[in-house]
Amino acid sequence: MTQTLEAPKTKIPPSTHPLAEIIYRLEAGGTMLPDTPENLMQIIGLYKAYAVPMDFYWRDLLYIAEQVFLNPLPWSKYFISDEYLDRENKYSGDNADLRIWRGCGDAHPELREFMAQGELKKNLPNILHHLWHDRINMEFAEECMRSMLWHRDMYKPWNQFDGFLDTDEYKQNCDRVIKAYFKGNPAMLGLYKLFPDMFYEQCRQMSYYSNLGLFWEVMAPVFFEMSDLYDEGKMTSVPAAMDFLVNGIFAIAGRPIYHHVYIKGECFEIIPKSKGFTWLYEAALPYVEAVFYRTAPFRGTKSYNAQAGQVPDSQPDFHYGVLYADKFPVGTAGIPPTFLAQDMLHFLPDYLVEYYKQHCRGEGDTIVQLAVSFQRSMYCVTSAVIQALRAALLYPLDDEDPEHLMANRQFFEAQMDRFLRPEARIRDIQSQEYR
Amino acid sequence: MPNIVEIAVSDDRFSTLVTAVQVAGLVEALQSPGPFTVFAPLNSAFEKLPPGTITSLVQNPPQLGRILTYHVVSGKYTKADLEKLSELTSLEGTTIRLNFKKNEVKNATAVLTDIEATNGIIHVIDNVILMGP
Repeated sequence: MTQTLEAPKTKIPPSTHPLAEIIYRLEAGGTMLPDTPENLMQIIGLYKAYAVPMDFYWRDLLYIAEQVFLNPLPWSKYFISDEYLDRENKYSGDNADLRIWRGCGDAHPELREFMAQGELKKNLPNILHHLWHDRINMEFAEECMRSMLWHRDMYKPWNQFDGFLDTDEYKQNCDRVIKAYFKGNPAMLGLYKLFPDMFYEQCRQMSYYSNLGLFWEVMAPVFFEMSDLYDEGKMTSVPAAMDFLVNGIFAIAGRPIYHHVYIKGECFEIIPKSKGFTWLYEAALPYVEAVFYRTAPFRGTKSYNAQAGQVPDSQPDFHYGVLYADKFPVGTAGIPPTFLAQDMLHFLPDYLVEYYKQHCRGEGDTIVQLAVSFQRSMYCVTSAVIQALRAALLYPLDDEDPEHLMANRQFFEAQMDRFLRPEARIRDIQSQEYR
Repeated sequence: MPNIVEIAVSDDRFSTLVTAVQVAGLVEALQSPGPFTVFAPLNSAFEKLPPGTITSLVQNPPQLGRILTYHVVSGKYTKADLEKLSELTSLEGTTIRLNFKKNEVKNATAVLTDIEATNGIIHVIDNVILMGP
């Protein structure tokens, strides 16, 4: 169902933007996604299905950043230690710094059950589940991390994390950790002496592991709580879901982003908390830019000819993120979105399993439908980011000053400009028939 | 004449700001000769932030300090000076958008201006301002 909004009777003239209807919806406090019960059910169901594997992603990202670190043969990096499964989330559980989810602080029970039994539903040794690829697809999380690393220089000068990775201070911190990590290993220390920049670049990647892990540690309890509120009948509209996300963004904005490494129990600070890096500026905004908008053309979805200009020259023009993705090819070539879709398939709430069966095009169609629902849910998250930025930097939606309303309008129009390219799915998600 | 910190401490409308400055360990810096221009948010400005925001910042002094230094500029700028400028660089390192002909500092309004201190000047604002374009 498409919602049509007329130009609001405000003190500013109507918008001439091709996506004016969506701009009016944002100006009325809504989201890019129409407010329908079907959309609400889909996005909340997907938040829940996403939060369970995300509970593994953030734990393993931090495990790799803090413990595995520069291991040249990290074959066991997906075999997360009990310490990291039991690690209390800072935003859920009784010991939380700020309790967002009312549930437990350690690994989610559904995650533990899946890790033990997998799709096979058999209690086999971890190594067998791993070799059968019956496990959480951590490759997806690593692809998101690499996307953030590859699209560096985002949100400068407000994002100071990225610039810090090129400073002498960062290299000195790395030097201390590298020498401690490879103590007694002359081969690796020799390599470090010959190719220090290669080691620094590996450290930068590890710092992004930590960055993304700390980002998702917040998002998992946010999504779990939204799911619980929906199940209780307390979250009843798409704008209410967005408002919950906006409040969450502000509440957690100041969370420190840092990178610590533990070597034989001793903590080395590559990026100390005292740098003042924050969740909003150094993790959330770059993440949304890198993963929702840009990423990279994945193998397996489509062949691109860079020489024919099919791939933009400039990285900020990349448009291969979830907001632009063609969701139909999931299931091919092990591409990162497929990894995520398969992970979410294991944790769908019953109401979505039933819903997808009603519209099923055949075996395997559920994974395509859930990927489209996921796209809808990420348009809702992006709406929350847009509204949060508007609230932080511009003016209230009910401001009396026409100049302020026009500043808000120009901001919304600039955001919508990014969805004018034909690959954007914003027009598709206006209809319930897109599935 | 009192300094910037003494003025803030003596006025109940800045009690949240004073607490935040103490937690972030910025008292000494704001008592130094400067001079500084401070855009000082009222208590009511902090109350407009969503629940949890202040708690989260108070738990993390370096991050709180970064937000607070965004409200401070090196040098003494009176209202008359600010009317001639479109932006200033904060001690945090990024710029603050100004439209002082309408008494606006980004999306905040200066409700009281030109409070003189020995080490600078204070303009009172009705919103906490945040980094960004």
